[in-house]
Amino acid sequence: MLGFLFARQTGLEDPLHLKRAESTRRVLTLELNKDRVVDRIHGNGVNTLDIEAVEGKYMLSGGADGVIVIYDLENSSQKPQYTCKSICTVGRSHQHVHKFSVETVQWYPHDTGMFTSSSFDKTLKIWDTETLIPAEIFNFEGTVYCHHMSPIATKHSLIAVGTKDPKVQLCDLKSGSRSHILQGHRGEILSVKWSPRYEHILATASTDSKVRLWDVRRATGSLFTLDQHNGMKSKAASEAADSAHNGRVNGLCFTGDGLHLLTIGTDNRMRLWNSANGENTLVNYGKVYNESRKGLKFTVSKGCSPEFVFVPSGSEIAVYALFTGKLITMLRGHYSYVDCCEFHPDFQELYSGGKDCNILAWIPAPRSPVLDDADDQTKNGGSLNPAFEDAWSSSDDEG
Amino acid sequence: MNRKRLLISDAFKTKKPRLGTEPFGFQENGKSSAFQDETLDTKSALQHLVSLFPRKLFNDTLPPIILKHQLYSLTKDRTLVDRQVSELKDKGEILMFQMGFDPESFAIVFTEDYKAKALAAESGQQTFGTVQKFFDTVLKSCSDLSFNKEKMLKEFIFRDHEITQLVKSGVLTVRDAGSWWLAIPNSGRFAKYLIQGRKAVLGMIKKTKYNEVLRRDLEGRKMTSQVKLGIHYHIHDLIGAELVDCIPTTTGTLLRVADG
Repeated sequence: MLGFLFARQTGLEDPLHLKRAESTRRVLTLELNKDRVVDRIHGNGVNTLDIEAVEGKYMLSGGADGVIVIYDLENSSQKPQYTCKSICTVGRSHQHVHKFSVETVQWYPHDTGMFTSSSFDKTLKIWDTETLIPAEIFNFEGTVYCHHMSPIATKHSLIAVGTKDPKVQLCDLKSGSRSHILQGHRGEILSVKWSPRYEHILATASTDSKVRLWDVRRATGSLFTLDQHNGMKSKAASEAADSAHNGRVNGLCFTGDGLHLLTIGTDNRMRLWNSANGENTLVNYGKVYNESRKGLKFTVSKGCSPEFVFVPSGSEIAVYALFTGKLITMLRGHYSYVDCCEFHPDFQELYSGGKDCNILAWIPAPRSPVLDDADDQTKNGGSLNPAFEDAWSSSDDEG
Repeated sequence: MNRKRLLISDAFKTKKPRLGTEPFGFQENGKSSAFQDETLDTKSALQHLVSLFPRKLFNDTLPPIILKHQLYSLTKDRTLVDRQVSELKDKGEILMFQMGFDPESFAIVFTEDYKAKALAAESGQQTFGTVQKFFDTVLKSCSDLSFNKEKMLKEFIFRDHEITQLVKSGVLTVRDAGSWWLAIPNSGRFAKYLIQGRKAVLGMIKKTKYNEVLRRDLEGRKMTSQVKLGIHYHIHDLIGAELVDCIPTTTGTLLRVADG
């Protein structure tokens, strides 16, 4: 590390290398930390999390009872102990609260003054963060499983919405109306994601085991569907040609650069696709247990040199290397099923929410102290009778 | 540059001890240990598995059948296996078959073996010519797992009664109206033995106190009549299909029934 810093100082090294190496190290050491707690507000399972991209300071969470909470993640107290406080809550008694489970929440990508939430009560609400009053409500015929706004769009402000209806709907924030329908799927839409690279490209996943990519400017239909057998049509069953999985597809995630797309299905497989041509890259992650009937929110790390995928798998979170498919580790901590996880790209932290109503913060382990110090500490500890020790750790931290 | 590389690997070292898969667990007996060490060559792994296949059981009428997931128990890197298998398939060295009992499992057979055994089974019968023609035209040019009617009639110029003959001889099995799987003749007994044996071996592990057993102990046990394909063959099958987890211990690999 010192060598790295020296090389960086003298200009021998690209600053990016240092950043990447350090963030990779940090991601590899993610663990639960007693110093970081997220306030427990939800009285029911946590379905969805979103961290805003502007400052990385605020996190939204949506619960199975319709409650939406905003947390402050930034620790400005200069102490290692920090409890992420909730700033405001759309609680059960709020007059505009969602009636049923909130499935997806998302910050408006360019500003924290606005966020969106969609729910099983068949609505999509656009909220004003200041007043916590919906500025716009879209009503749908079926339960809403997911929605997404393009993180990079400058030419449009469309929200893609996946509902029980097999048609994907696009809502325009400018006009406050539904502008298009994308037709092609034959089952419920469980996940929609805009490409982080091209603002008009949208990926959708459905219970009909297909994943389609769309260019929303194109009127005639989807660009292509992903095929697990790479175009050898005779290999797939004739009635279910071009299926991405052998079961429902319930999760989608683009990599940070938008060049690859990850999909996860109830056939316990995760697949990595080239998002430009829809080719299966044949990365084999092994069995990824996935019994969720709804959409599953998983996430990819950003800014590490081999990238990692964080996938909820039962009551654990599996961490895989993105391009080799190796299982790196399992993060154990939740008491019940994990539903969502969200990566904080600035601090390499992971937040996860589950059916046990908790939001857990996975924090990189602090660097182990230099060896001499460690020896001293053990010596001190050895000389002192452990019974007389009291709260020595906190005094160490302050000093 | 050197220093940077050193440091990057250093950054990863912090994690390695926790993973704990590499440092021990290679003290297996016989050939399998040699294969776990050299992870790269899928073809030699295939040949090793072929040697485990009990030819005598089927009076030498079947080509040695390997399941694709068995390779995963020899090589840790699944992605690499998948890519190399698909390469071998495109080269025409191996053929892949869909096994009827599970949409996820594929059987692998060396093309040479397959042709020899299938023709040997047909010799002296009137379908011999058709099967020969099928091998010469279709298998040479196309590495698909199944064929539809249109392709068979137009591209490969087969007639309806010829397809009937192929189905009769077991080279094709019906998949749907107008589409067929490529199949291994007389492989029904193999599938039966495989499923029976898998159940029996898994049952043996489940009967132990903590649902776990040392691999070496299991290999040394006396097998019931249900386990016809050989214990090594079944262990590779169980590990590859992720029905058991491998846990490295100081006394060898421990197999534990996977939960979930």
